[in-house]
Amino acid sequence: MSNDAAARAHSGAVAPGTGERTFWGRLTSWPLYQILMAFLTASPRRQFLILAAFPLIWVLTQHLGPMLQMLRVSLTDAYPVAPGVEQHFTLDNYMRFFGDPIFWQPFFRTLTFAGVFTFCTLILTYPVAYFLARHVSRKNQMLYLLLLLIPFWVGEIVRTYAIMILLGNTGAVNMMLKWLGLIEKPIPFMYTSFSMGVGIVYLTALYMLLPLYSALEKLSKSFNEAAADLGAGAWTRFRRVTLPLTIEGISSGCTLVFLISTGFYATPVLLGGPSTTVFAETIAGFFHVAGDQWPTGAAFATIMFLTALILTSVFQKLMNALRKGDSK
Amino acid sequence: MTKLIFNRRRFLGTAAMTGAALASPAYLRRANAAGGEVNIWTYNDFVPEAFKEQFEADTGIKVNIRLVDDQGKQFNLLAAEAPNPSVDIMTVAGHRFLQFIESDLLAPLDTDRLSNWGKINPTFSESDWSTINDNKWGMPILSGMEVLSYNTELVSAEEAQSWDTLFSEQYKGQTAYVIQDMISIIMLKMGYDGNMVAYLDDPEKAAAIVEEAKQFLIEKKPLVRKYYDGGAELQQMFVNQDIAMAQSWNGPAAALITDGFPLAMTIPKEGSYGFVYTFNIANNAPNADNAYTFMDAILASPEIGAAMTKASGFISTYKDASNYLNDVDKKATSFSDEELANLQFFRAEANEMKYGLVDPAVEAIKAA
Amino acid sequence: MNRRNRIVLSCVYWAFVLYVFVPLILMILMGFKDSKFIGFPIRSWTLDWYTGVFEDAEVLATLGYSTAIAVLSTIVAVAVGTWIAVLLEGRKFIGRTAIFGLTVLPALVPGIISAIAFRIYARWLGIEPGMGAIIWAHAVHNVPFVALVVMARLSTLPKSQIEAARDLGADPIVAFLRITLPYLMPAILGSSIFCLLLSFDDFVRSFFLGGYDPTLPVLIFAKLKSGMSPEINAIATIALVVTAAIGIWAERFTRRLNKDTQA
Repeated sequence: MSNDAAARAHSGAVAPGTGERTFWGRLTSWPLYQILMAFLTASPRRQFLILAAFPLIWVLTQHLGPMLQMLRVSLTDAYPVAPGVEQHFTLDNYMRFFGDPIFWQPFFRTLTFAGVFTFCTLILTYPVAYFLARHVSRKNQMLYLLLLLIPFWVGEIVRTYAIMILLGNTGAVNMMLKWLGLIEKPIPFMYTSFSMGVGIVYLTALYMLLPLYSALEKLSKSFNEAAADLGAGAWTRFRRVTLPLTIEGISSGCTLVFLISTGFYATPVLLGGPSTTVFAETIAGFFHVAGDQWPTGAAFATIMFLTALILTSVFQKLMNALRKGDSK
Repeated sequence: MTKLIFNRRRFLGTAAMTGAALASPAYLRRANAAGGEVNIWTYNDFVPEAFKEQFEADTGIKVNIRLVDDQGKQFNLLAAEAPNPSVDIMTVAGHRFLQFIESDLLAPLDTDRLSNWGKINPTFSESDWSTINDNKWGMPILSGMEVLSYNTELVSAEEAQSWDTLFSEQYKGQTAYVIQDMISIIMLKMGYDGNMVAYLDDPEKAAAIVEEAKQFLIEKKPLVRKYYDGGAELQQMFVNQDIAMAQSWNGPAAALITDGFPLAMTIPKEGSYGFVYTFNIANNAPNADNAYTFMDAILASPEIGAAMTKASGFISTYKDASNYLNDVDKKATSFSDEELANLQFFRAEANEMKYGLVDPAVEAIKAA
Repeated sequence: MNRRNRIVLSCVYWAFVLYVFVPLILMILMGFKDSKFIGFPIRSWTLDWYTGVFEDAEVLATLGYSTAIAVLSTIVAVAVGTWIAVLLEGRKFIGRTAIFGLTVLPALVPGIISAIAFRIYARWLGIEPGMGAIIWAHAVHNVPFVALVVMARLSTLPKSQIEAARDLGADPIVAFLRITLPYLMPAILGSSIFCLLLSFDDFVRSFFLGGYDPTLPVLIFAKLKSGMSPEINAIATIALVVTAAIGIWAERFTRRLNKDTQA
């Protein structure tokens, strides 16, 4: 397999000599291209610098730029600045979080929810991804995957309202249970952490599914067959071979889902109950209800963001250690 | 059917515009010569489509409408664009004026340039909230109020006479409200000034009152099903029978009533608050002249006001607009004089103090 | 043994399909309800909401507008994200961690914050609100997802393949285009679909960076103000059918493409 691919690339490079005029042959023998390549690959150092220049400029100007603006706002006492008002730099916005316990509960609740929902999503989607990658014929995999992706094409709001009519007192589930004679009075599913979880897993499944699928998909079957030949049972094979080899997919999926979960706003607001307020609502409150508190909102967002970042990097370190430990 | 409504609406618009054209031909001709455009931020259905088309045809001014769904977002957007906004006319709620004015986002309204200003019911145009710093800042178009709405199959009309029912054990897990709004109502119910204007000089008293309202709502938290934000959420909760009653704005409740849902609404005996949506001209509006032309034209006839009421469920601020409503629309958008006597308007003067106290209280209630 | 596993797993898969499709079916069902509100019970049915949507030029224009934004922003995000992934994967250099951190940054910022940050920054750069600004914001926001997915795939590319190609005289660009890129294709396609979804579904960035033309979620939010009516469900259903059709077509298309390159 690997030799085939190399040979394919090779055939392009040497094509001019053999008279085989492929596209690649024509491209590589084009003088302008050769000059360009000579310039680009003059030294490994230059090659690297050219490769690195664009991403560096991009992340600095496009990714960091807006965030620096936000950081600056979080350190000021007034934003947007009304004419005639002088703007001062201050740490008060950060102190406000540490000084007032009422902000801590939604903060820790959000981290807990994010952790729990991430775990649930992993447990739910791993078998799905496994089935897709290992038991569906290769030519159908994309189709099966698309089947799962289609519902995500419906906007978050519309989908959330659909969940309301699924779980409401006169919703589909309660109607079904009543019809089956299992209940007499409807079960109040809505506006609890359960309804919120149903909605959130819907949002996060996709973020988990794709990394898991691509990790499992690349796992060659021969590994497992070799293990089976050695007499390992299905569970042992999974635990000793499949799981360690997909830890990278698990780790990137969980990281993604956890971070994104800390920022969900619309779904928790619409599906949650009186006691499920998340930190994003607190942050949004500073932008919505009281329009002149952008700096505080920006500071709180920064705190959430940094905390989530630290937690996930610890998590990634752990997963990496696990992987290294296993491969020894 | 759709077509018929369309034609009727179009007819209303045409009739209204004919009236406006007759009333001030010189004015419109001048605008017509000018052409150009006018940029409006407003809610869905606040500018009737038929009126818009007629206005564009008559004046040559192109009307660009950008839909907003929330006062806070509108403020943020405008603040991000200031001092050179792309917008001419915004739709600000009367009790949010001060925030916009303090940030220098609104231009004072020159009512002399609106020949139809007198067609607004003075209850709205001359009310205490409408004049700030000796200026008018907005042209009232629609009015809404906080009401107690209830499913008539589950709650009796007598029970709905008092806000207390919303907090009774009997309806545990079947109620919903917007916390911010509820705090004002609780203060009113406890006999205080929910606008907090009376306590501007006595911040300690103000803080004590908000604390009392906060403790009340925390104590009653086990009874509530949902703290909600938007009208659509409220409607869905009623339709799904997740709740039996709620504090709500009249608009979303009116829409349920006109659709035949067994719902009714009252202004309870303890009183309630109302607010007014106004069209406002942005500071440094790029097409201020066209904005005045547009605002004067939309005021021209009570039929336009009635069309806005039908589409939005809010109450028209135009004199005699209700003459153009049918019975169902009237039922969904009118209250008895007795009820209206209990109504006060939200005021902005003490907002800084009020929301400085209320916002943390809301956080505390949610966190409790 | 293996057979039983397979059956259990396929049950899990179809149960998951059921879970994601039930709300969808409810949504589609409600588009036919003869009432201004969605929910049970449904007393009578109508097609009026659908005919209304097809007669509403604004909705149709919005669908096209949102699609264009999704496609263009995805192209930008995929190109940039892949480039960054190639730089970061399997290389050790000073500042790698920093660049990685910056790369994933936009994915971690809560929507409302990132929207406001983009809006302020756009003004500072002199980008007018409108289609270009939305595409820019969506592209930046989506780059991390492309980079992460592509990096995960790239980490599994056997080094020997590239080395063999280089030994045989292929220059870096040819080696990239003929070996790395085809190997990355599943990741690139997967993340493209993902980006399209994110862009199509985004409300808050589109709202803050948009001009007078609404994207689909912005229009739906505005309509939601007057109630969650079956009309919104009808719009969403139509959008779904159109995008699903495009997705399936794209799948067929790439399948044929793969066949052609193999032949």
